[in-house]
Amino acid sequence: MRLLLVEDDPMIGETVLDVLRAEHFAVDWVKDGSMADTALRTEHYDLVLLDLGLPKRDGLDVLKALRQRKDSTPVLVVTARDAVADRIKGLDAGADDYVLKPYDIDELLARIRALTRRSTGRAEPVLEAHGLRLNPATHEATRDGQPVTLSGREWAVLEALMARPGVVFSRTQLEEKLYSWKDDVSSNAVEVYIHGLRKKLGAELIQNVRGLGYVIPRP
Amino acid sequence: MNSIRRRLLGSVMTAIVVAALFQAASAYRGALQQADEMFDYHLQQMALALRNGAPNPSAPEDPEEAEYEVQIWSPTGVQLFQSHRNRLPPQAVLGFSDVEQNGTHYRVYSIQTPMQTIQIAQDLSARQARARALAVRAMLPMAIMAPLLMAALWWAIRHALKPLERTRQQVAARAVDDLSPLPEADLPDEVLPLVRELNLLFGRVHAAFHAQKSFVANAAHELRSPLTALKLQAQALDRAPDAPTRSVAIARLHQGIDRAVRLMNQLLVLARQESATDTPAERLNLQDLVQLAVEEALPQAQARNIDLGVAPNQPTWVAGHADALRILLRNLLDNALKYTPEHGRVDVAIISENGAPMLTVEDSGPGIAAADLEKVFDRFYRSPEATAGGSGLGLAIAQAIAQAHGAKLRLDVSPTLGGLRVVLVFTNLPAIAQTPAIGPGVKRF
Repeated sequence: MRLLLVEDDPMIGETVLDVLRAEHFAVDWVKDGSMADTALRTEHYDLVLLDLGLPKRDGLDVLKALRQRKDSTPVLVVTARDAVADRIKGLDAGADDYVLKPYDIDELLARIRALTRRSTGRAEPVLEAHGLRLNPATHEATRDGQPVTLSGREWAVLEALMARPGVVFSRTQLEEKLYSWKDDVSSNAVEVYIHGLRKKLGAELIQNVRGLGYVIPRP
Repeated sequence: MNSIRRRLLGSVMTAIVVAALFQAASAYRGALQQADEMFDYHLQQMALALRNGAPNPSAPEDPEEAEYEVQIWSPTGVQLFQSHRNRLPPQAVLGFSDVEQNGTHYRVYSIQTPMQTIQIAQDLSARQARARALAVRAMLPMAIMAPLLMAALWWAIRHALKPLERTRQQVAARAVDDLSPLPEADLPDEVLPLVRELNLLFGRVHAAFHAQKSFVANAAHELRSPLTALKLQAQALDRAPDAPTRSVAIARLHQGIDRAVRLMNQLLVLARQESATDTPAERLNLQDLVQLAVEEALPQAQARNIDLGVAPNQPTWVAGHADALRILLRNLLDNALKYTPEHGRVDVAIISENGAPMLTVEDSGPGIAAADLEKVFDRFYRSPEATAGGSGLGLAIAQAIAQAHGAKLRLDVSPTLGGLRVVLVFTNLPAIAQTPAIGPGVKRF
């Protein structure tokens, strides 16, 4: 799961960044509006955490530009502007949800999960297929009731595939979900994690479609 | 009694009463005197009329005639006629005289003809009663006019003071926070300047009120960021799975607390600078202040390898508060050091411009774009390039202190270093700064 964090306050930014990374998100952090705009134009994100009071370009502006490009990336606005009129403006500009500063980090994470769940067209919080259950809130995975231990990156790959069963993800698409800018990506990293997952969950769960990528078949 | 209306009414009414009394008195006296002359003339005419023959004694007495007593004598002294009882002295001097007989006063007139001596006497009390009645009638118009005049003046004064009363009611009926100007239409020349001054005052109070309100709103908003950081840092500490993560989280929490404390302090400094200006100013040497501030900033400069120095200068005296000016200088230096890249240079100089002491802080940093020069004095404004977690209050504080000292703060481009130059000019110099004084000054500014 790849997130874009747009936050100009260095203290808030670095703390949120660390918490999100600990939750196995691949996070890119930008500190002003024009950088956010550039990042959104060039990369694909599963979710954007957007502060509104930004240097150089207002967050609302960035959001409007995003929606004008018909980009439906979920946007969670995180801001200190608490007037109802501001919230309405934010939601009308295309925000999917709104969190007020100072906020609770657990609430933020829950809202991130809810938004990504909705954006993949699911209503239920737990991912389930072929006897495998993934709970994104607790990071617990079970296979036929038996707990399975997964590394952070393995979890990220599996979550991406389980979120949309039947959809083939290319290696590049999976890499995008795994890594932020600062990470060095080795050429066969995705294969390493797929291999690890197959060892833990059985070879038949994740299938390889030659020339396209990987898929977990629709149950 | 401090009401203009009451004072006006009081003095005008008193004047009317005094004038009316004086007028009445003189009318009364005049009427009496005129009646006197008239009655004397009357006596004279009666006497002259009697020359042609004595009145008929048997004629019925006219009540009008009852007050007259007529006596006629022959040249030999024989009494030829007497109107009723003989109450009068038989003879009197010729012409007018006043005579008393049996407790009654008479006005007497006598003439002598070759044939007879005629004497007519009039009872003075009756005469005076009639004179008084005449005099009272003469006073009557005044007695009627005075109250009418009073009523008219009372109405006129009330009417003339109505605009004042209206203004008073407008002020009295205002809500606590209503600082809109009072209407200036239809006000008399005497009240208009007062209302104008009042409106100017309202304007100033309104501006101050508004500034305070937006300051509080800004401050509340600005406090959110450090508090958000604190909350997140505390939660991150809670979630830290191992010791190294925890120690990072603790270090960050400390930074967050320091930052919140710094912001609070700066808000307090700003609030104080903007409210307290009535403590006495001291006579201060700018040199000492600069040296103190530079000494304090030195570690910061050395940490970033910035060459911080002071240009040669002379003792320069200004009036002010040492603490406030120290904060101002520290803020200017902080700012210069923050935005100057490593191995840069910051120069402080004390010079004089047309006799006005002037302090400059120049740096070799990137400077400020002309478009942003105005904005940097705004509270909570942070340059887009700012990376250090500043509060955006430094220059706003410096500005507030400068204003409290009657000094001007202006920004331009440093001609020697190419970065920003901040110039502090002490324009509005109080007398204390120009004339050497002994001991701390007591002059206020």
